[in-house]
Amino acid sequence: MRVTGNRMIDLATGATAAGQTRVASAAQEVTTGLRVTRPSDDPNAYVSAERAKLHKTLVEGSTRAVQTSHEHLAQVDGALATIGESLSQIRSLAIQGNSATYNASDRAQMAEQVRTLFTASLGAANIRSAEGEYLLAGSASLTEPFSTTGAYSGNASTRDVATSADTSVRATVSGSELTAASGGVDVLPLMSRVATALATNDTAALSTTLDELAKAVEQVGLARTRVGGSMKVLESTVTAHAELTESLTKTISNEIEVDSLAAASNLAKTSQALEVSRTVTSHLIALLKPS
Amino acid sequence: MSDLLSLLSLGSNAIQAQNSGLAIATNNVANVNTRGYSRQRVDLNALMGAPLVGGVVAGSPERLQDNLLAGRLRTAGGSLSMSTAFHEAVLDIETRVASAGPTVHEQLGELASRFTELTATPTDPFSRESTLLSARGLTQGIRRRAAELNAAQEEANARIRARAEQISELAARLGETNLAIQRSGDPTAHDERDRIAGQLTDLTGGTARIDGDGQMRFVLDGGAVLVDGNHAAALRSTTDATTGDQRLEVVAGAITRDVTANITSGSLGADLQVRDVVIAKARTDLDQLAFDISTSYNTAHRANAGLDGVSGRDMFTQPTQVAGAAKAMAVDPALDADPSLLATAPAGGAVGDNAGAKALLAVSSAQVASGGRTLGGAALDMVSSIGVAASEAKHDVDRDMVLTENLSSLRDSLAGVDIQEELSNLARFEHATSAMTRFVSTVDNLLGDLIAKL
Repeated sequence: MRVTGNRMIDLATGATAAGQTRVASAAQEVTTGLRVTRPSDDPNAYVSAERAKLHKTLVEGSTRAVQTSHEHLAQVDGALATIGESLSQIRSLAIQGNSATYNASDRAQMAEQVRTLFTASLGAANIRSAEGEYLLAGSASLTEPFSTTGAYSGNASTRDVATSADTSVRATVSGSELTAASGGVDVLPLMSRVATALATNDTAALSTTLDELAKAVEQVGLARTRVGGSMKVLESTVTAHAELTESLTKTISNEIEVDSLAAASNLAKTSQALEVSRTVTSHLIALLKPS
Repeated sequence: MSDLLSLLSLGSNAIQAQNSGLAIATNNVANVNTRGYSRQRVDLNALMGAPLVGGVVAGSPERLQDNLLAGRLRTAGGSLSMSTAFHEAVLDIETRVASAGPTVHEQLGELASRFTELTATPTDPFSRESTLLSARGLTQGIRRRAAELNAAQEEANARIRARAEQISELAARLGETNLAIQRSGDPTAHDERDRIAGQLTDLTGGTARIDGDGQMRFVLDGGAVLVDGNHAAALRSTTDATTGDQRLEVVAGAITRDVTANITSGSLGADLQVRDVVIAKARTDLDQLAFDISTSYNTAHRANAGLDGVSGRDMFTQPTQVAGAAKAMAVDPALDADPSLLATAPAGGAVGDNAGAKALLAVSSAQVASGGRTLGGAALDMVSSIGVAASEAKHDVDRDMVLTENLSSLRDSLAGVDIQEELSNLARFEHATSAMTRFVSTVDNLLGDLIAKL
C-alpha cells in the first residue's frame, strides 16, 4: 500500500492528539480521584453508585431521627429518675410520718417536703424537648399533660420513628405509664394525697398510701425499664445504620472512585506513551522534510 | 534536411510533454495540503512513426481518483458527522439534566430524608420548614431542568435552521460545479465537486452518485433529489404551527416535499434525532415524573392533617395533565406560606401523631411512578437513559472514526500527494527536458552546418 508522507504525519499527529486526550483523562482521574463523574462515563456504575447514595441519604435522615428520639428518651429517663427518687423519698417520709414517734408539727414539716418533691416531679413529668414537645403527653404533644393536681390529660399513644421508608421502632413512652390507666396507680395525685395526709395529721389516710407508694416506685421503675429497652433498640439501630452507611460508602467508592495507585501508574504510562509519540512525530517531520 | 526538421519537431514536442509533467508535479506539490485534492499524473503517449518521426505527446492530465472509494468515504463521513454531532448534543443534554446542582433523584432522596426526620419531630417548626425547603428545592430543580430541556430544543431548532440554509447554498454550488465540469472537464472542478458532495453528505447523510453523463446527483435519504446536474433544489426550514419545531422541505420549483422524517444521518440528522427522540423523551419523562410526584404526594397529603387538624390539602399544585407538569411544578401556595399545614398527623388524630409524616415518607418507597417504579428510580432512570445514549454515541463516534481513518488511508494511498515522490518526478522531467534541449540544440547545429554548406 502506498503511504504518503502527509499521511504518515497525519497518523503521527493523530496518535499524539489521542495520547494527549488519554493523559488529560488520566490526570483528571488522579486529581479528582473519580473514575465516573457523569452518567455516560459508565452508566451501570453511575446507577449503582447513585442508588447507593440515595439509600445513604435515607439512612442518614433516619439516623438523625433515631438520634433525636434517643435524646428525647434520655430526657424522659431523666424525668422518670427524678419522679422515682421523689417517690422513694416521699415513701420514706410517709413511713416516718406513719410512726407514732412523730407529732403533728413534724408531719406538717414532712408535708412541706413532700409538696416540694411533688412540684419537682410535676415539672419532670411535664418535660419538653428542645423542639417544644411535651415528651410524656402521648400524641397530644403540644399540650401540657399533667395539671397542677397531677391529673393526666395526655393520651396513651406512643410514637414509632422511621428507620427506613418501610420500618420503624418505638421511640416514646406515654405519661399514661404514670397513671392507673396503665394498671398501676396515679403517681402524681398519690404524692399529693400523701402531702395532704401529712399536713392534716391523718395517719389513717397516710397508712393507706404506703402500699400504693411501693407500687408506684415499682411502676416508675418499670416505665424506666421500658425507656431503657427502647433506648437500647435505638442505639442498636444507630449502630446498624453506621455499618450500613459504611457499606454504602464502600459501594459508592468502588463504583465511581479510582484506585489511586492504579491511577498514578496509568498517568505515568500514558505520559510516557505521549512522549514517545511526540518524539516519533518530530523525527518523522524531520525525515520527510525535503532537502 | 526534411528528416532533421522532423527531428526538431520531435524534440520540441518532447520538451513540451516533459514540461507538462513538470507543471503537473509542481501543481501536485503546491496542493499537497489542499483538503480533498486528488493528485494528477501526466499522460505521456508515444507517437507513431519512430525513429524518424514519432516522439511523445502529453495528453490531458489524469486525476487519480476512485469514485466508489470516494462514495464510501463520503458515506462514512456522513455517519461520523452524525455520530459526532449526536454525541456532542447528548453530552450537552446530560450536562443540563445531570450536572450543575443536585439531580432530581438526589432531591427526592433529600425530601424523603426530611420526612424521616419529621417522624421523630412532627410538630417541630424547624423540621417542618426544612422539609418544605426540600420540597421547594425539588420543584425548582424540576422546573430548571424543564427550562434547560426547552432551551436545548430551541438550540437544536436553531441549528436545524442554520444547517438548512448551508445545505441550500452547497446544493446551489454543486449545481454550478456540475455545469463547470460539463463545460470544461477541469480536474480541479472535480475536486471541488467532491468536496461539496462531502460537505453535503456530512450535513445530510445523503448519497452522491456520478451518472454516465458525468454529472453528479445528490439524493437525500428517502429519495428526495437535492441536486440533479445543474438543477439544485433548496432545503427550506419552516416553523411547525403546532409544535413550534422546525420542519424541513425540499423545494424544487413549484414542488415541495416534507423530508423531516427522512433525514436520519449527517449532522442535520443528528439534530433532528436529538430534538425528536432524546429531548422529546427527556421532556416526556420529566413531565411524567413531575406529574407522578405531585399526584402521589398529594394523595398522601390530602388523607392527613396539618397542625390545625384540617385534612384534604395538596402538597404540590396538582397538575391537570402530564404535558407541561414539570414546567408548572410548585409547592401548594397555602402550604408554602405556612409550614404548619404540612400534613404530618392523621385526619382526626392528635398533632403529635406522626402517621401523616410516615405516610408521606412511604411515598418514596412506593411504586407510584409510571412503569411500576419508585419516584427516585424513575428520576434515576431518566438520567441514566441519557447517559446510556451518550455512552453509545461515543462508541459510534469511535467506530465511525476508525472506519473513516481506514477509508482515508485507502484514498490517500491512491489520490494523496507524496512530496518525495513528486520531487523525484520533478527531477525526472527536468532531466528529460535538459536532454531534449541538448538534442534539439544538436539537431539545430547540424541544420546550421548543412545550411552553411549549401
